[in-house]
Formats: sequence, structure tokens, C-alpha cells
Amino acid sequence: MSMLIIQSLINGILMGGIYALYSAGFSLIFGVMGVVNIAHGDLLMLGAFITFWMFIGLGLDPFLTLPFSVAGLFVLGYLMQRLAINRVVGAPPIMSYILTFGMHLMISNLALVAWTADPRAVTTAYSGANLAFLGLTLPWIKLITFLISLGVIGLLYWLLNHSQTGRAIQATAQDREMARLTGIKVDRIYALTFGLGAAITGLAGSMVVAFQDVEPGMGLPYTIIAFCVVVLGGMGYIPGALIGGLILGIVGSVSTMLFTSGWSIAITFFLLYLMLLFRPAGITGKGIVE
Amino acid sequence: MKLKKASIVVMALALALTLGTAAPSLAAKDFTFGCAVPLTGLFGKAGNLVKDAYTLWMETVNAKGGIAGKYKVRIIFYDDRSNPQTSAKLVEKLITKDKVDFLLGSYGSSQVMAASAAAERHKFPYISGGAASNKLYERGFKYYFGTLGKATEEVRGNVDVFNAMKPKPKTVAIVGSNIPFTALACVGYKKYAEKYGFKIVHYELFPIKLKDYNTMLLKAKSKNPDILLVGSHLGVALRVMKAMKEIDFNPKAVAFSYGPTVPAFVEALKSDANYVFAASEWTPALPYKGPVFGTAKQFHDRYIKRFGRAPDYVEAASAGGCVVQQVAIEQLGLKPGKVGKAERVKLMEKLHALDLNTFYGPIHFDKDGANREHPPLAVQVQNGKLVTVYPAKWAEKAPMYPMPAWKNR
Repeated sequence: MSMLIIQSLINGILMGGIYALYSAGFSLIFGVMGVVNIAHGDLLMLGAFITFWMFIGLGLDPFLTLPFSVAGLFVLGYLMQRLAINRVVGAPPIMSYILTFGMHLMISNLALVAWTADPRAVTTAYSGANLAFLGLTLPWIKLITFLISLGVIGLLYWLLNHSQTGRAIQATAQDREMARLTGIKVDRIYALTFGLGAAITGLAGSMVVAFQDVEPGMGLPYTIIAFCVVVLGGMGYIPGALIGGLILGIVGSVSTMLFTSGWSIAITFFLLYLMLLFRPAGITGKGIVE
Repeated sequence: MKLKKASIVVMALALALTLGTAAPSLAAKDFTFGCAVPLTGLFGKAGNLVKDAYTLWMETVNAKGGIAGKYKVRIIFYDDRSNPQTSAKLVEKLITKDKVDFLLGSYGSSQVMAASAAAERHKFPYISGGAASNKLYERGFKYYFGTLGKATEEVRGNVDVFNAMKPKPKTVAIVGSNIPFTALACVGYKKYAEKYGFKIVHYELFPIKLKDYNTMLLKAKSKNPDILLVGSHLGVALRVMKAMKEIDFNPKAVAFSYGPTVPAFVEALKSDANYVFAASEWTPALPYKGPVFGTAKQFHDRYIKRFGRAPDYVEAASAGGCVVQQVAIEQLGLKPGKVGKAERVKLMEKLHALDLNTFYGPIHFDKDGANREHPPLAVQVQNGKLVTVYPAKWAEKAPMYPMPAWKNR
């Protein structure tokens, strides 16, 4: 029994890594410009489809397509912010909900028209292969995905704290007017941040398609998970996304083990409710509370 | 001047109208059938098989001159995108806007549940060969018919095949998604597993929305069952296979209620699909024979010639539904352009009364619309091909059992 719990913990941690990655993008966007991006999961879906089509069309290994989905989603995110979302930054939150909800509907329905509602999967020669030791199994694809996720979150954290641009992003997040006074081009920083958030989300999508089937309507559930993750870890606090992602992954997996998979979804949302009630700034207490 | 312009417009309109009305009067030599079926989405792959079956029936009938040898068949297909509400709406549209003469049934119990309710309201007979939930027959409907067996019986072949193994496996684990058909498949597994004295070491229904099956299946793995029985559609079956490999789960066999007989299963999994069992209700080896398609074998051969692949039992059941509706229409002497409510009531009564032998086997609907039970069968993927492995008298090959561990494949 104890081995089983350890195995389900491992499954949960591996899933938690991918949750953390795309939630970091969600958290970054919220932290810097106060926008709750309801179209977030759709960006993940687009990343997944970039990888799917490059795998099908060019026979490219899913992991080799990562730079393309990162670049593609960065450009898309940058333009989305510049052309639309910039107009609602600083406006009441309801404005950004409406705008990004509209974007969610547009992106997912256009994708539905273009690619139909068929679920699609990428099967490679190493799909399902795993690393086995001490009676435990670690699927290679999920392990690599987990490590890349950790690396990218670490890189993002480092970038925000140690690079010129990162510090400009942080300054803009803390006080937009003061940042402007010090000569930071705030609009450019916003677009850059959104592009960055979209890029890592696209990256997550590209890795998801390697082990799960994808379809145009998959986005919204991912947005909801991202929301749970950042509430758990603290809105706008990047390391919080990692903590929240891991907690959610572990809770989902272990409660599936101990109870049933139906219960695991209920327990996840109960946890979200408790957090909002008792610790709205997240477990770390470092999240933004409005 | 203005008046002249207006009169030209009126004339043009009148011309367009006469052209427009001319089309249906030409088409009145045809019977129009309507069908809303999932062509995309979670059930899209299987729904397309049903569309193929209907297409082959239409082509076969039309090549012989049509229904009763003279009325050509036309089918309007709509894609419900695997959404039951859409399916019901499209059936309404087929009846009220497209004014079809008859309907053909859809694929998937949830779709058929919603669509057949719309058909019942308009008194249109609705025969499905791609839905098996027992609940479809518990609604007191008069216009709903199904050619497949009920879900709890349809999966029987999956348990029978292991009951016949020597040495007989001892333990089974049962998992399935909690939508109507797959949940009832699990009920059927349980019923027959208990009947044959298998020990059920694990039983779990999981939400269809669940995407990562690893931990869910880990529980079944920990009970070390000889056999894993899965209540599934194609999508669920694919996710189960992926997860089994990832967690290195090696029962002696795995069997699915539906999925492996859809070509997309082997296409997606390639050699990993081997050794997998699936329940079936029809195989070309059966000694069935009837109008339109001839024998089961002839239907099978015709299918291969047309689509380059063999039909599965859902396709046979769907085409079987077309044949019985066609025979009923012919026996009543219905004519295109003259099919109204009264004719469709007669058609419903006729369908209840018919006792027909077809390539798909005997079709005789009970009061609740369910077809007479067919003998249970099981198929297996062997070297990328589906072969009938149970019962022995119709088996093409012996079952490959036990399945080797993932590491040794």
C-alpha cells in the first residue's frame, strides 16, 4: 500500500509540473497587468496544435517543435496585448473578463471550424516507455516534461529578478506610474509580459500533446486549473505557481488513489474554496489580493 | 422606368421560384432519409463508420433501381459534433425544415437518447445500430428501435471468451467511464463475471472528463487481476491503453466494450494494439442471409471493395437497420411524396410486426424496440488485424493468451 501511495505521489508530482508551467504564465499576466486571462487555456491548445501539425506534417519529434510553439505564441501574445488587451489594463476587472472571455470563444470556435472537434494524439516510438526502479515507474515523456517545466519556471524567475527587462516588468507591476516616470515604456513591457506568458503556456501545450489527446475545446478546463493553481500558490507570485501546481497535482492523484477519480475533482475544488475563504493570498501569503 | 425595373425584378423572382419549386417535384421520385450523426468530436471516428454503412446501403439499393426497384434513396447527413443537444436539434431540422421522409439512427447512446426523443415527438420511426444503453428501451417509446443488443448483454462475449479459456483465469478488474453505455457495459461485465465465478477484485467508474488515467489504473494494477475489463468508447479505450503502458500494467488480457474494432484504434496504437480483446455481435463467418446484401460474407466483401476495410459489428447493425426499414417500406407499398403522419404510424406498426432474416442476423423487435438477442462473440487484434476468436465454432483463429508483458513486446 505504501508503495502505491508513493507511486501516486510521483504521478501527481509529474502532473503538477505541467500545471505549474502554464499557470506561471497565467500568474505572470495577472501579477503584472491585473488581467485574469480566460483565454489562457486556449493559448495552451494552440501550442498543442502547433506541435501536432508539425509532427503530422513534417514528422518532427514533439520535443523539437518546442521552439516553434514558443516563438509562435510569443508573437500571438504580444499582438493580442497590443491590439486588444492593452485597452482594458487598469480598467475594472470585469472589463478584462469580458474581453478575454470573448477571445476564448473566438479562438476555440475558430479552431473548431479549422480542425473539427476530433480528439488527436501524437504517438512516438517512445510513447509509454518508462524508467522503472524499486517497483516504481516513471514515464519518460512525463519525466522530461516535468524537468523542462521546472527549468523554464526557474529561468522565468531568474529573468524577472536579475535581468534589466525583468526588473522593468517587476517595477511596472508594482507601480505603473512610477515605472513610467523612470523611463520604462510601460505599454511595451505589458506586451512583452503577455507574450512571455503566452510563450510558456504554448510550450506547456506542446508538451501536453505528447502524452494526452487534444481538441479545440480543451482550453477552458485548463484555464480553470490554472486559476486553482494560482489561488493556491498566490496570485502573481511565480514560485507560488510551482507550489500550487504541485499541490494540485498531488491532491488530484492521491485522492484518486484513496477514493475515486470523481472525488478527486470535488476535493480539488473544495480546496480552492477553503483557500479563497481562509488564505486568499495563497499558501505562501505572497499573492496579490484585491 | 422605375416600374420596368421592378417588373424585371418580379419576373426574375418568379423565375427563381419556379426553378426552386421545380427541384422537389423532380426529386419526388426519391425517398429522402435524414441522419444526424457524430462526424467529429469524441465519437466522430465511430460515427463516420455508421455514415459509411448507410452510404453503402444507399449505393447498393440505388444500383438495383432503388427501394421497391424504382424509388432512389437520398440521405442528408448532418454532423452533431458528438453533442446530444445538437443531435436532437438536427433531427428537428431534418423533420421540419428538410422535410425528410424517414430517419436513420445515430451512433452513441447519449446522442441517440436525445435524437430519438425528438423523433418520437414527431412520430418518425428511428432505428439505431450504434447505441446499446438499456435505458433507451425503458422510456415507453413506440418509434424507437435498436438492432444492437442491450449494453449489459452486448459485452457478454468479453466475459464468455475468458470463461472458455483453459486454464480459466480467476480474477477480473472492471473499470469504465460513467456515461450511459460504458457504465452499463460494466454492469454487464459484473453480471456475467459473477455468473461464471470470476472474483471481481476491483470495480470503478470514472468521469468521462478524466484525462490522466495513470493513478486510476494504478489501483486496478495493485489488485493484480488476471483480466482487465473496460467499459469504453474509442477515446476511453485509447487512453486506457496509453496509461497501461506508462504504468507497466500487465494483466493476462484486456478487453474493451467498444473501441478496438474502430480502425483508428490500431492506427493510433500500432503494434501496442495487439492482444486486445473486444466484444462483438456480428462476424462475416456467421451463417446469416437476407435481402439487399445477401449473406454476411457478401456484405463483408462488398464493404472491403467499397471502403478498403472490413466492417465491424456496429456498421453491420447500422446497415441491418436500413434493410429492415426498407423491407417495411416496400411491404407497405409507400411512395415518395406521399409519406405523411399516417404512413409513418403504419411503418412503426410494421416494424414492430416484422420478423426478418438479414445478413446481420434475425431482426425482430420486442415491444420496447429492442432486437432479439444475438449470440455473444469476441474479437482480438492479432498482428494489427481483427479476428474473431470466440465462440470456437465461428472463430477464425485461437485467442492469443496471455498477453506478454510490455517489456517483452
